[in-house]
Amino acid sequence: MDILEVSELNVAFPTRYGLVRASQNVNFSVKEGEICVLVGETGSGKTVIGQAILHLLPQNAKISGSILYAGEEILSISDQKFSRLRGHEISLVPQNPTDSLDPLMRCGQQIAEVLDICGTSREDQLSRTTSILSDLSFSDPELVAASYPHMLSGGMRQRLTTGIALAASPRLLIADEPTKGFDYTARKRTVDMFLDLERMGIDSILMITHDLVFAEMIADTAGVLYSGELVEFGPAADVFSSPLHPYTKGLVAALPKNGMTPMPGMSPGLARLPNGCYFHNRCATPCEENSVHPVMRKVCGRFVRCNRC
Amino acid sequence: MHHYLIKRIIYLIFTLVIASMFVFVVVNATPGESAEVLARHLYIGLEEIAPPELIAEVSERYDLNKPILQLYLEWIGGILRGDLGYSILFNKPVNRLLMLHLPPTIFLTVVAMVFATTTGLVLGIFSALHQNRILDHIIRVGTIFSVSMPGFWVAVMLILVFSMWFGLTPISGYGGPPYIILPAIALGLHTMASITRIMRTSMLETMNKPFVMFAKAKGLPKRRVIVSHVCKNALLPVLTIIGTSFGTLLAGSVVIETIFSWPGIGAMLMKAISARDFVLIESTIMMVVFMFLIVNFVIDLLYHVIDPRIIYD
Repeated sequence: MDILEVSELNVAFPTRYGLVRASQNVNFSVKEGEICVLVGETGSGKTVIGQAILHLLPQNAKISGSILYAGEEILSISDQKFSRLRGHEISLVPQNPTDSLDPLMRCGQQIAEVLDICGTSREDQLSRTTSILSDLSFSDPELVAASYPHMLSGGMRQRLTTGIALAASPRLLIADEPTKGFDYTARKRTVDMFLDLERMGIDSILMITHDLVFAEMIADTAGVLYSGELVEFGPAADVFSSPLHPYTKGLVAALPKNGMTPMPGMSPGLARLPNGCYFHNRCATPCEENSVHPVMRKVCGRFVRCNRC
Repeated sequence: MHHYLIKRIIYLIFTLVIASMFVFVVVNATPGESAEVLARHLYIGLEEIAPPELIAEVSERYDLNKPILQLYLEWIGGILRGDLGYSILFNKPVNRLLMLHLPPTIFLTVVAMVFATTTGLVLGIFSALHQNRILDHIIRVGTIFSVSMPGFWVAVMLILVFSMWFGLTPISGYGGPPYIILPAIALGLHTMASITRIMRTSMLETMNKPFVMFAKAKGLPKRRVIVSHVCKNALLPVLTIIGTSFGTLLAGSVVIETIFSWPGIGAMLMKAISARDFVLIESTIMMVVFMFLIVNFVIDLLYHVIDPRIIYD
């Protein structure tokens, strides 16, 4: 069963330079019990999708489309109604753990306030906080709960923000760039932590990342974003081992283990998108004429947005 | 923390010593023959010209001929023994004069500070939460107005409107609670406006921080996000302003007290300056400097209570 179904999601921001279309006709779904990863480079509209699901977009954003959570429309409902889902139904592991923690509040309190709004009693909050922290392999949960964020290391802060996201046992976790700026060991630890979440009762995860290696290690299904559009979506093993879209091919070829062949060119600005295929001028096997904008089509068990596939 | 306290206290003493030298030199350098001015104030009348014999006698009697270093050391020695000197003009010990006039000034300053801080914070938070709506614009125009109007003019206008036209408050004097309202507003308005503006900016800046977005994502209701995450973090820059404006308020009280016939140090200081009663001027200013330093010392310690990232060593 689909826990999250995003269809025809469009997000745009009016700016001085024209309408910036951060996300266009995005369709994908996350099945219950699977880890779905959306990969894309900076400016491909990854974060915007996560924020749209969580109603965290700035007020000037123009949003259309539909997002179903467990079969229920959540995009058009009021912020007030939606805030009841946040935390204990859908929850967020933020992009930057250091900046996402309140510097003036004790770490334990930052977990406890989530439990507080779920109506947990004060004594239970304390024991729950300790058990959440020890589940995330903190060796001294009481000490961590009593310290302030600046006293923890980067890795500890990340486990802490994950702990906060898990506090109210959500059914769907949205993780935004959890490995940003991490080295190989830290990334490996993050992979283990996310794979371990199943044990803590979280099984559906939507992961947003630019880290292809990380995505490969963790994903059940994968989507590739380019200039605000999803260009390929399907089972992760297929997408990464035999990519169909030329952009996905380019990304996979650029990985160190595949010889680090760089892709030429730059992605077009989101305010001035061409009419035809956005990838045309960078494509290794371009179509002769670039007038028809490609649509998502089902090819060998996955979806690809390419006129040639 | 212990080390920090000792270090801060040494700094405090050092600042006091430097300030005392500065105050002493500047006051003694006041233009005009001090013995002559003093003689006119004490014996003959302001419009007369003092004869040279009288000037010589006044200089002799009040030790005005002594070298400045000796005068300074005698003054400091007295302060260390708890004796702030003797006022020639009022013919009373400075200690007694300050005991009489300092409490009304402290009272006025504290009430003005409380008014400025509470109103400033409330308006600043309100303004930030209603950004770019009509009330926000009204508050912002009001604060620009309050910052640019001189305190004495505001005082006169307040008297005109609330005392003369509406008859709500006493015009001037020192008595029950109604007497403090207008002086406190006139004195604190400027500070209130700066606190409002800084709190508004600080709130808006904090609301864009990632931890506020995460607080929302955690499922906290908007009110709780504002109260327990935004406001507390936004308060930090305002704290510094509160400390420094305490000095502005103490200094500003000299003018405001004169307008409202408030029996504080203001009116006394004015008389002392025009009569060149040096010891009274110097000791009073040192008292003000001392209070200012103590308040800022406390604010520094408060920082530590609010912001755990500040480590003193």
